[in-house]
Amino acid sequence: MIQPRLGCPHLGLGLGLRSVHFNHILEHWPEVAWFEVISENFMDSQGRPRHVLRRVAERYPLVMHGVSLSIGSADPLDFNYLARLRALAREIKPGWISDHVCWTGVAGRNSHDLLPIPLTEASLAHVVGRIRIVQDFLERRLVLENPSSYVGFAGSTLSEWEFISRMAGEADCGLLLDVNNVYVSCRNHDLDPVHYIRSVPHHRVVQFHLAGHTNCRTHLVDTHDHPVANPVWDLFRLAHQLVGGASTLLEWDARIPSFDKLHAELLKARNYMGPNFFPEENGRTVPVSDDGPVDAAVPHPLHHTAVEVQ
Amino acid sequence: MNPWPVATPPMASPGPNHPPLPAAELVAPAELDRLQRWLQTVITHPDGVEAGSASAEAMRLIAAGPGNLNIVVTASENLTAAERLAIYGHAYYSRLIECLGEIYPVLQRAVGKEVFDGFAFGYLQAYPSRSYTLNALGKEFPRYLEESRPPAAPADSGSDIEIDWPLFLVDLARLEWDIYEVFDGPGIEGRALFSADDLLGVPPSRWDQVRLRPAPCLRLLTTRFPVNAYFTAAARPPTGREIPWGRPEPSFTAITRRDYVVRRYTLTQEEHLLLASLLKGTPIGEAVGELALVARMDDDLLAARLNIWLRNWTAEGFFESVYFG
Repeated sequence: MIQPRLGCPHLGLGLGLRSVHFNHILEHWPEVAWFEVISENFMDSQGRPRHVLRRVAERYPLVMHGVSLSIGSADPLDFNYLARLRALAREIKPGWISDHVCWTGVAGRNSHDLLPIPLTEASLAHVVGRIRIVQDFLERRLVLENPSSYVGFAGSTLSEWEFISRMAGEADCGLLLDVNNVYVSCRNHDLDPVHYIRSVPHHRVVQFHLAGHTNCRTHLVDTHDHPVANPVWDLFRLAHQLVGGASTLLEWDARIPSFDKLHAELLKARNYMGPNFFPEENGRTVPVSDDGPVDAAVPHPLHHTAVEVQ
Repeated sequence: MNPWPVATPPMASPGPNHPPLPAAELVAPAELDRLQRWLQTVITHPDGVEAGSASAEAMRLIAAGPGNLNIVVTASENLTAAERLAIYGHAYYSRLIECLGEIYPVLQRAVGKEVFDGFAFGYLQAYPSRSYTLNALGKEFPRYLEESRPPAAPADSGSDIEIDWPLFLVDLARLEWDIYEVFDGPGIEGRALFSADDLLGVPPSRWDQVRLRPAPCLRLLTTRFPVNAYFTAAARPPTGREIPWGRPEPSFTAITRRDYVVRRYTLTQEEHLLLASLLKGTPIGEAVGELALVARMDDDLLAARLNIWLRNWTAEGFFESVYFG
């Protein structure tokens, strides 16, 4: 039994709640330990998405995962957004609220992408200060995820693991360690993902993300449209061992398979979690498909509401 | 071919208003703002990141330019700074254009993906997202199509298709956006609604005081083409045949939501007139009186139609309640 960490309960293996699976979930109530919801898809909803969310919240633990906090932006924090985030949290009582170490836009615009922050002392102080403000506003600890990135800045003076380690310590926030993002970013920046995994503060990791990526020959793209790749599973095994276990979530956002296939992919995680977690399945190897490299791919699939109309 | 060419603003010639920044200076809060504005300018430029970095706006922020990008962004073993930036530039438009296609699937089907993508590309330049939610991304798309459509050909040009088709697309976009908003906006699910008998039981002598409170999800749409019929045809399984756009004809549609599913109703002009009046809060008696002045039907026929309409509308949940005042 893994104890709560930083006030966040250990939830086990969970899936991202996506609208294409709404009907399946409402009909079958599958045995999934928990769901992660994209906060922005539900915070303003007054229609079916919110209705489904309420029903799901009656049966499953939920975690809110945002994509628009823009904690690293030079723009002021959006307190209208934060108020809506807080209102949704008060209604569905998530285990925690997470977002990304990134910025999404500046000068009032939103690119709806997770853009990288220059890794410097000044931007670290900026981000830490904003996390504290957000945590005070939300009256809870924030959990932040390392994003996939495709550029590095000449002005950066810190490694990403140094940045998020100091950020988490100075702001007293939790970390969502996206193992696929570690792998994608390290491949793109010619860095060692094992060193990255070993260097983050393991006691601050309250959640893992797993996802598939696309190999574009010269770089990797975080597309969330494939099974988890073998090197990412290996990294997950290491991370899980070093952290001592944490709630684990599979993301799949484009070319989304049936719920059962998605669930089966999630359950492969048991094979990498060590004998103390699922002893009966330890050691089983899992074949992972490799679609081979492609020329172009789009990172960070978007989430928005799918309409039902007659 | 893009039948609705998107104008690209002329690019000012780049000028080094700022000297290249030493790396260490990119990190102060003011420099963070400058770096982010620069990156946003570069990756959202419609002509690509190299053109973006050469634009006057980018050069004013950081005078790197296409040949000097590595003073801001590092190269990797496999990619140059420009190639790495281009991953974000490509993603910006392709992701948001795909998203718009999912908000406007019938419009996309009507014009084909290539033309639709051209519209969406122009739209994102004219109305870049300023909202935290993607659910607002398509809000100004109908307005953009209206503003950017080519002027109508002269009435005597002899080709009504060429004259009017942009209006069809604008109308279709308006319908799709209304459907999109109604789907996730406020509704009447879980509320007890009044019945037609409750309403028709009100003595005619009191109809000048009785008003109907519309459901919050009810929208009325007037269009210049029968786009609701087109939407219905497009929603059916594909047959491989083109769906005709239809000829210009004033058309009236009610859009509402029941049991979390959006419902569409084609209205006659008389129904539309009466509903529009009731939605404004006009007492039923007065609204019926206004209709009687313009409707081409005798009193008996109007009374019979009224009975049917009010029963249908209440059954479909067009109105939340009845009140006096």
